[in-house]
This record gives sequence, structure tokens and C-alpha cells, in this order.
Amino acid sequence: MHKIGLVFNGVWSHYAFATAPKYADIYRLIYIHELTDETVDGLEALVVPFQSNQTELGRRRSVIYNLLAHGKKVFVEGDSTADWLDAVWEDRPVNNYWWVTDPHNPPVSETDFDHPVYNGLSKRHSCWHTHGAYVSIPDQAAVIQRKPDGDIITWETRQYGGVLMATTLDPIVEHGVQQITHLDHYVDSLTHWLCGIRPEGRFEVPKERYGIRV
Amino acid sequence: MIRAAVISNGLGGLHYYFQSNDRVDYRWLEITSDFDPDLEGFDLLVVPNGCDHIALYRIRDKIRSFLDAGKTLFCFDGWFTAWVPGNQWYMDNTRKTIDIRYFKGTDRYDLFSGVDIRSLNFSHGISGWWACGYIDPAPGADVVMFDTWNRPMIVLDETTTNGLMFLTASGPLADATGQTTDDKSSEKDLARFYINLLELAEKKRQYA
Repeated sequence: MHKIGLVFNGVWSHYAFATAPKYADIYRLIYIHELTDETVDGLEALVVPFQSNQTELGRRRSVIYNLLAHGKKVFVEGDSTADWLDAVWEDRPVNNYWWVTDPHNPPVSETDFDHPVYNGLSKRHSCWHTHGAYVSIPDQAAVIQRKPDGDIITWETRQYGGVLMATTLDPIVEHGVQQITHLDHYVDSLTHWLCGIRPEGRFEVPKERYGIRV
Repeated sequence: MIRAAVISNGLGGLHYYFQSNDRVDYRWLEITSDFDPDLEGFDLLVVPNGCDHIALYRIRDKIRSFLDAGKTLFCFDGWFTAWVPGNQWYMDNTRKTIDIRYFKGTDRYDLFSGVDIRSLNFSHGISGWWACGYIDPAPGADVVMFDTWNRPMIVLDETTTNGLMFLTASGPLADATGQTTDDKSSEKDLARFYINLLELAEKKRQYA
């Protein structure tokens, strides 16, 4: 029984993540063009990954807020627009090489490690790179992560009923890309927070999952 | 001038990477729930990095007809669905990115002219950043670039259809190439590479 819906934009990293045996029983892909109140019914949480269809999310924002109104959790990663989130996201250069050039200065300088997603994570596991920043967040939101310059990376609010958490990190997409090898720590903690299940095992996608006909 | 259609699945900032100029006129095909674009009138179909391979699979017959009419396809993304005629991309995490290096293969159109392959090998000193996985190429297709383990990274296929397919193992190319790197050398060489591709597409258009 799937607990978490993953909004699916037909992107390969979304597909690889949600069909990996480690996560396949927990996450269910929901194609963005089929995102409705009916297709999210029964889920504990919804994840909106980086590289989502921003236009369609704007058209279907009521699905997200209806889910929150029912006390569920929604996790948003990467970028967003003010069409569907009461926040202002701005683009920034992506520094994914700081660990080579300046390993003592990660992009995030402040993290609330008391938050359930971050509790138990090392600094290294709580930030790899960021895609932009939030310069405005909902009025009752709390900041969880910031950059040294004050830019907001991660925030959370309960003002819509359930819990809405947003970050400019991209744990789901990068885990699906499979080039950053420590992301099980973050994603497993996130998954546990979203639905109460902590996945176990190694992230792998069998070759036969590619070249599919849909 | 090349008349190009670019597939868009609504990614933020995507339009920045393909700007019409004196070489190519881009038109955007936005994916919707009833996506069924008319490809007539286009010379080139561009599938950018991060695209929707569910929607592309659903129009695979239309893309095949487009290619059989002698047109050109650029795919710069990992196609996990079987919509590209004769060729299939696979993701594979068994190789360490620190060990990945690229090598020129069969380059009959001199697509690497003016391109320093070291810019694809390293971005800010990190290797394995440009592509992901590998391509299982169609019989007779050219492997333009391969990696440390001889895995095809770039394929040029003029045998499977009457058209031309240029396929990367999810390596981004565009007029402006800041999608996954801000290394100036990488940006310059990837943009040069893309211009060479457009010149090939123009020749294909003229002689189709």
C-alpha cells in the first residue's frame, strides 16, 4: 500500500527513484497531468520534486491545499512559483563543487537539527547543493535551513492544516540521478517523517526497469 | 534557417536555453494532458534535459514518421521509455563518477571541431558530471563519444530511419549551457558543440 505520492513530470530521475525496489512499495508516481483529489486520495503525504511542471502545478494547486486541509504532509523540493506556493523563490548559481574547492564552507550554514528530518543527520548529509533560495515564505512558516548570506533554503508551516515543508535542496531528484552516494540518509529520514516507514537497503534500479512501454 | 520544435514539460527557466537566432527559429511545444503536437513544418525536434518521456512515448509513432520524412532529432536526456527508434538509454550506478572519462569515437561530421573534450570531462575539477548512464545503440549507428568502459555516451544514427538522430546519455546541450555547470570552459565548449550540431542539422535540412 503506497503511502506517499510523487508528482511525476515524466523525468527519468523521478521514475528511477520511485521504481527502485527500495522505495517502490512506499512511493507511487502520480503523473502531473493526472494529479487530482481522486488520485491522491488515501495517501499520507505528497512530494513535489525538483524538475516539476510549474505551469501544471499552478493549475492544480487546489489538490495540494485540499490534501493539507485534510491534515496530510506535503514536501516540496527545488524551485517553485508563486502561482501555487505562498512564497517567493529566486534562482541562484548552483555550487555543486564546494566540497572540492572549499570543503569547510558548505552552501548551508544554519540547520535546525531538532527537526525530525534533520535529526541524526550529519552536516554533510544535510546539504549537498541548493537550487535557488526563498526570499519570502508564508507568514507563519519557520526557517529550518539558511545560507551564510541569510537566504532561506528550507522552511515549514502548519498554517494550511497539515504540514507543508519546502526546500531548495533536491534529495529526490539527486537520489534518482544516483551520483551522490550518501543521499539514503536524508531521503530515508524524510520518508520516515512523511509516512512513518523507514526504508532499508541499498538504492538500485534493475536494468529491466528501463526501455519500458507505457 | 532551421525550424525547430522544442518539447517543454514546464521546467522553470527552460526557455532561457533555446533562444531563436539567425541560425534557428525555435517554437515551443508545451506538454499538456492531451499532448498531440503537429510536427509538420519543422526540420528539427529538440528534447532538452529533464524532459517528459511519458508524453514522448505517447507520440512515438509521430516522431518515427517525422524521422522517416528525413528530419532530425536531438535528444539530450535519458529516455527510460522506448520511444527512440532503435536506441535505448539505461541508467547505471555501478561506475564511480571519479573514474569517468570521455573519448572521441566515430565523428564523420567533425562535430568535435573547436571543442575541447576536457570540458566535458571536468567541471570545476569534478568528472562524470555531464552524462548519466549509457546508450545501447542501434546496429550501424555511430558512437561519437564513449567513456572509460567503452560505453556509448553520444550516438549519431542515420541508419534506423531516413532521418538523423543525435542522442546523448542525458548530457545537456543547448545554445546556452548553464543547466548543470557554471564552469566557463565547459559552457563555452558545450555551446560550440551545439552550434556544430545545428550546422549538421542545417545541412540535413538542405539535402533532405
